[in-house]
Amino acid sequence: MMIQDFAAFSAVREAGLAKLLPGKPRIAVGMGTCGSGNGAEAVYSAFSSEIDTRGLAVQMAPVGCFGFCAEEPLVNVWVPGRPLLMLHRVQPNHVDTILNGLEHGELPPPEIVLCKIEEWDHLTGHVKYGTGYPDVPNWNEVPFFNGQVKIVLRNCGLINPDDIEEYIAVGGYQALYKVLIDQNPEAVIEQMKASKLRGRGGAGFMTGVKWEFLAKAPGPEKYLICNADEGDPGAYMNRNEIESDPHALLEGMLIGAFVTGASKGIVYVRAEYPLAVLRLERAIEQAREYGVLGPNILGRGFDFDIETVEGAGAFVCGEETALIASLEDQAGRPRPRPPFPAQKGLYGKPTNINNVETWYNVAPIVSKGPAWFTETGSPKSAGTKVFSLVGKVHSTGLVEMPLGTPLAKFIYDIGEGGTNGRDIKAVQTGGPSGGCIPADMFDTPVDYETLAQIGSIMGSGGMVVMDEDNCMVDVARYFIEFTHSESCGKCVPCRVGLDKALRVLNGFTVGSATNEDIQGLDELCRMVRDTSLCQLGMSAPNPVLTSLRHFRHEFEDHILAKRCRAGVCEDLALSPCENSCPLHMNIPRFLQLYKEDRLEDAFLSVILDNPLPASTGRVCQHPCDNRCRRAAIDEPVNMRDVHRLIADEVLLTDKFDAMVGRVLERKLKPTGHQVAVVGAGPTGLTCAYYLALFGHSVTVYESRPQAGGMLRYALPEYRLPKEVLDKEIELIERLGVKFEFNVNVGEGLGLNELAEKHDAVFLAIGTWKESWVYLAGTELTGVLPALPFLEGVERDEKMPIGEKVVVIGGGNAAIDSARTARRLGADVTIVYRRERKDMPAIPEEIEAAEHEGAKLLYLAAPHRIVGDKNGQVRAIEAVRTKPGEFDTSGRRRPVPTDEVIRIECDTVILAVGEKVDPDFCKASGLKVKEEGTIEVDRYSLETSRDRFYAGGDLITGASNVSNAMGIGKKAARNIDKRLMDLERSPSLIPDFEYKMEAPETPSEYGRHVPIEMPAAQRVQSYAEVSLGLTAVAATEETARCLRCDIRSAER
Amino acid sequence: MDKPKIGTCWLDGCSGCHMSLLDADEAIIGVLKKADIVFGPLVDAQEWPVGVDVAVIEGAVSSQDDLKLARTARARSKVVVALGDCAVTGNVPSMRNGIPTRKLLERVFVEGSTEGRGVPTDGVPALLKQASPLQEAIKVDVHVPGCPPKPGAILQVLTDLLEGREPGLGGKLRFG
Amino acid sequence: MTEKVKIRIDGEVIAATAGQTILEVARTNSKYIPALCYMEGLSAVGSCRLCMVEVSGVARLLPACTTPVQEGLAVTTSSEQLSNYRKMALELMFAERNHTCAVCVSSGHCELQSLAQDHGITHIRYPYNFPKLTVDTTHPRYVLDHNRCILCSRCVRTCAEIEGAHVWDIAGRGIGSRLVSELQRPWGEATTCTSCGKCVQACPTGAMAEKGWGVEEMTKKKAAVSRLTSMREGQ
Repeated sequence: MMIQDFAAFSAVREAGLAKLLPGKPRIAVGMGTCGSGNGAEAVYSAFSSEIDTRGLAVQMAPVGCFGFCAEEPLVNVWVPGRPLLMLHRVQPNHVDTILNGLEHGELPPPEIVLCKIEEWDHLTGHVKYGTGYPDVPNWNEVPFFNGQVKIVLRNCGLINPDDIEEYIAVGGYQALYKVLIDQNPEAVIEQMKASKLRGRGGAGFMTGVKWEFLAKAPGPEKYLICNADEGDPGAYMNRNEIESDPHALLEGMLIGAFVTGASKGIVYVRAEYPLAVLRLERAIEQAREYGVLGPNILGRGFDFDIETVEGAGAFVCGEETALIASLEDQAGRPRPRPPFPAQKGLYGKPTNINNVETWYNVAPIVSKGPAWFTETGSPKSAGTKVFSLVGKVHSTGLVEMPLGTPLAKFIYDIGEGGTNGRDIKAVQTGGPSGGCIPADMFDTPVDYETLAQIGSIMGSGGMVVMDEDNCMVDVARYFIEFTHSESCGKCVPCRVGLDKALRVLNGFTVGSATNEDIQGLDELCRMVRDTSLCQLGMSAPNPVLTSLRHFRHEFEDHILAKRCRAGVCEDLALSPCENSCPLHMNIPRFLQLYKEDRLEDAFLSVILDNPLPASTGRVCQHPCDNRCRRAAIDEPVNMRDVHRLIADEVLLTDKFDAMVGRVLERKLKPTGHQVAVVGAGPTGLTCAYYLALFGHSVTVYESRPQAGGMLRYALPEYRLPKEVLDKEIELIERLGVKFEFNVNVGEGLGLNELAEKHDAVFLAIGTWKESWVYLAGTELTGVLPALPFLEGVERDEKMPIGEKVVVIGGGNAAIDSARTARRLGADVTIVYRRERKDMPAIPEEIEAAEHEGAKLLYLAAPHRIVGDKNGQVRAIEAVRTKPGEFDTSGRRRPVPTDEVIRIECDTVILAVGEKVDPDFCKASGLKVKEEGTIEVDRYSLETSRDRFYAGGDLITGASNVSNAMGIGKKAARNIDKRLMDLERSPSLIPDFEYKMEAPETPSEYGRHVPIEMPAAQRVQSYAEVSLGLTAVAATEETARCLRCDIRSAER
Repeated sequence: MDKPKIGTCWLDGCSGCHMSLLDADEAIIGVLKKADIVFGPLVDAQEWPVGVDVAVIEGAVSSQDDLKLARTARARSKVVVALGDCAVTGNVPSMRNGIPTRKLLERVFVEGSTEGRGVPTDGVPALLKQASPLQEAIKVDVHVPGCPPKPGAILQVLTDLLEGREPGLGGKLRFG
Repeated sequence: MTEKVKIRIDGEVIAATAGQTILEVARTNSKYIPALCYMEGLSAVGSCRLCMVEVSGVARLLPACTTPVQEGLAVTTSSEQLSNYRKMALELMFAERNHTCAVCVSSGHCELQSLAQDHGITHIRYPYNFPKLTVDTTHPRYVLDHNRCILCSRCVRTCAEIEGAHVWDIAGRGIGSRLVSELQRPWGEATTCTSCGKCVQACPTGAMAEKGWGVEEMTKKKAAVSRLTSMREGQ
């Protein structure tokens, strides 16, 4: 029906409202591309047919997408008088239950209920759905929606995009009507200017100013173009906008056309968006039918028509001059500006090009005024922007936020942080033209200027989150590969410069790059940025330049250490497990050797990679588990327990002596070099072991009476029986390492004296100082630091603990203290200020502590220790905390509340972390870092003093056993290289011949876990809790390995 | 004090650059007064000696042997000079780079041969996939382009280096 | 468009006509700005990026060949950064294809080669691509050697704008861009080609040459091509 007067307009509006809020229930299914991809079509037809079968009076409608892509398909259920109920992850098998509930006035099952909407401000109109469902959260109480301001997406997911009447029902085309009645184009342009609306395609030019150019340009032939050539990887806001609300785009363009005097409108949309094209074309047809497009629009004597043109998808056609060339049937290559399109555009006529999203802001600004618009956003960047939040973030989807919102809000609040608890490393904004922003800069507000300052851009709004599994070198390489293949080839810097940059970056990923390449790449990228012809070339280097600025160490890792920490660059690693192992054990090799029933060879393989395999087999944090590709099938291979078994089978049996002999065979010829190792902890022992294998004379100086460090003195017997550790140390001694105990280097023995007697010195004294938190009452009797407590118990000393013990902390030392205290018969409570998932301790250990009867109190920050008049601990008071904002570690900061918890106790064990002895560092005369650790070269581990190396916790601060050993191993390699001027570490490993065959089908065994002593029995003694795998279980476990070490070429 | 040592060699090239050096005629004697030539086609040494001051290398890097010699020369010399277009750009030897080596050898030794003895394997070094300029194989300090470079230019570079100056080639050379 | 403006090039005040480009003004006043894709008498496309100059008050570099002058414009034509970028652009052109100057008909008369010399290039810092490219010898009088083509599109514009035949265009994109005659038809079979040879004369390198010349023997008559335009404008 043609709308030629207001009466007709109102009639259409009424008809639309009757569809939106019919006198019967309405079920609307979110059917954007995202919904359809997740099965929305099937859900829709399941609803339709079931409603038909049952003969229900229910109206069905397809709608667009409400933005929460991670939770598709979304379904809206509305019953007259009640709020709109939004359901998520709806599958056809839910249909029955939902309809049953509808008939009986019951809510659908809670697991599919997402939120409710009681009323909705469409900005151009207002819809009241109703009230009720007190237990269902409001839409903006859902973390993903909390803080979102829907201006552009005002109608998305709520109205039927294929029905112009529903659009008019929520106030659509009213702004156009108003503009046509007012007949004052200049005023509208002034409004646009006052609103400070800036182009949403990325460059951020003032829309009002751009319109004014076109309005002033000579006519009558002038063009208005909507750029819907959205091509950034990971960005799809324009697609969703058109799919969900095509009429809002038409209305924006119609208003723009009227005020600028344009004669023709074109929507240039990429052909890869078939659904968007379809809905847009339907909308155009309907608009013509209803008289809002074409001749004599709304009876106001204004003529304008819009057509769609499908682009073939070249990325460069998003650049406006290339887009114009493409519209003119020429190759999509940009040309220099000036002349600008406003002077000489399509077919040489004045032309204005705006991005899809810019047009969506027009109608609300016209109807609500510029002052309303500038209330949202930052002073220079008014309004909102739609972002596609994707990548390694928990909740993904389209997010519309006020400009100026800090990145942290997007990532930690809206996106709810990393997936599976992984640490987020960076976010990439602006697609291939943008840059990578590191996590410690997440307080950056997202607006045009700030992002540009830090080398990125807002672009069209892509926001790709990266975590520790992303290699920033590879990310940079990926984006350059993209822009390289999308370069039109016209100008030299972009065509050849990007090609060269890609070659250099490829060199990094395979480890063939050199130090000069970092400098060369930086220079080349600056040249491409500064001299390219169009925005594609000018911005293509941004991902590289920002990565070089913020993640330079990753580039250096790839060339100096030939390592890709994230494990992405496969040529730099044997397999994901090997890459994640701090000791870089050849895990597939020992698994295969054991599988081939060659225990001795398997042991040799293990011990040459790791001198403390039985200890680490018990206490390692097993990063390999997190990387194992088997996890994609069922669960990771239990690599740690297999190597524990291999080690135990030799170390604790009569095979030991013979195997010592086989290790001795690998020892290289004596070199005559003398090396000192200070500290007999895991780091020092590892370094000494390898130095001895290399043929050097090694002396280990240790301040305590026995070797082992933390392994001996901090790890309770029930986790690591000392008989096992003793055997490992015996092997190291039999390799020729000399130990001098009870020697305090720095006090009894000076560093200068060491330097005189040795050709190189390795310092690894570890972290033995308990961090002392400021807490009232720590001076009371009954307050103990964790390490001396554990050490005392280990040495069989009588520890002064009472019946009720409180342990403060959440690390391994806290859990060890708690479990030890349980064995001493105490009642134990662990108090931790954050949430359980934030505890740094190994999760299995926390569970074991619970099984053994330790109580855990989370979200409680100790506030003071209460003493009696004798100065003896009586209780501890803790403030209840609640999770607050995310901090830079990606964990929620505990925020204190008013609630105080009091726990009666007589002993408090403080396990809040250990640190390096500051006195030792100061006295050493070596360069010390701010946090008190010794400064070393990242790659060589050399300190500021020649021939002095340092490692372990002394350089990293408190870490864990395997990390510390990894550093010891690296130090030995570097010291040997320095002394011998040759890389000799590969010569230590014999040629193990074993099957290089990947399993054709993955073995059917599930993950084997070690047998454990029952909890009740455990607390009675210090006997080892984990009994390890049986030989049969271990053999079956080795069969589960997928052999990632065999490359596809060999497969 | 010993005289500085010069070593020269040609990899994949036509020896034209060495000829150009010889074309300097008696001016060579001036160079020999300042330095000894310890390795090269004109010298009887079998192996690149250690402690060379200036290595002058002609030709592109085309075979395993070229690569080995270039690396040895680099490791044992203070300054490396890439002499002539083949060493600087790859030049004519690199024109085969678009053709797989196996096809190339068959074209030359099978299709192009009347003797029919096939592709030789004994006593000939394996060809690399591509002939590359010297600086893609080793670090090069001085580039002297030209096909061949003029005798005067070569002498100038050598004299500058022997007298401890940065070689000044301004205007004397044409790239390519 | 005969409004007179005053601009500064490297400090010197120069009178110009509004609508002229910086490069045109510089050339008429014997101020040197290097360029390869620019040729007098043809439309400017700004693709070689050698003519980038600094303009005071503008943060980014601008191509002299397409930037119109306006009153008060102050241009700097050479600086360390500019010459470094120009050098890099030239090196990239050499590394892109197989120029092998030693066996080129245009050696010694080649614009690319002489610019390299002007910029003190003694070697290319980037690894060579060594692409496998063809030589089109199908035309009876001329030859097209893709190994030496720098995609400046001077032939394309000469043929389209002066001869009016539009035989040439650039196909493909990015590093895979290639000059093509008609729709990838060999030059000798191109029905629109009038064999006028102006493209050959316009080519700055040895990519297009007359048959029958040996190494270093081919010189080109570029001025003749440019003169055609000025003569027509004079009509």
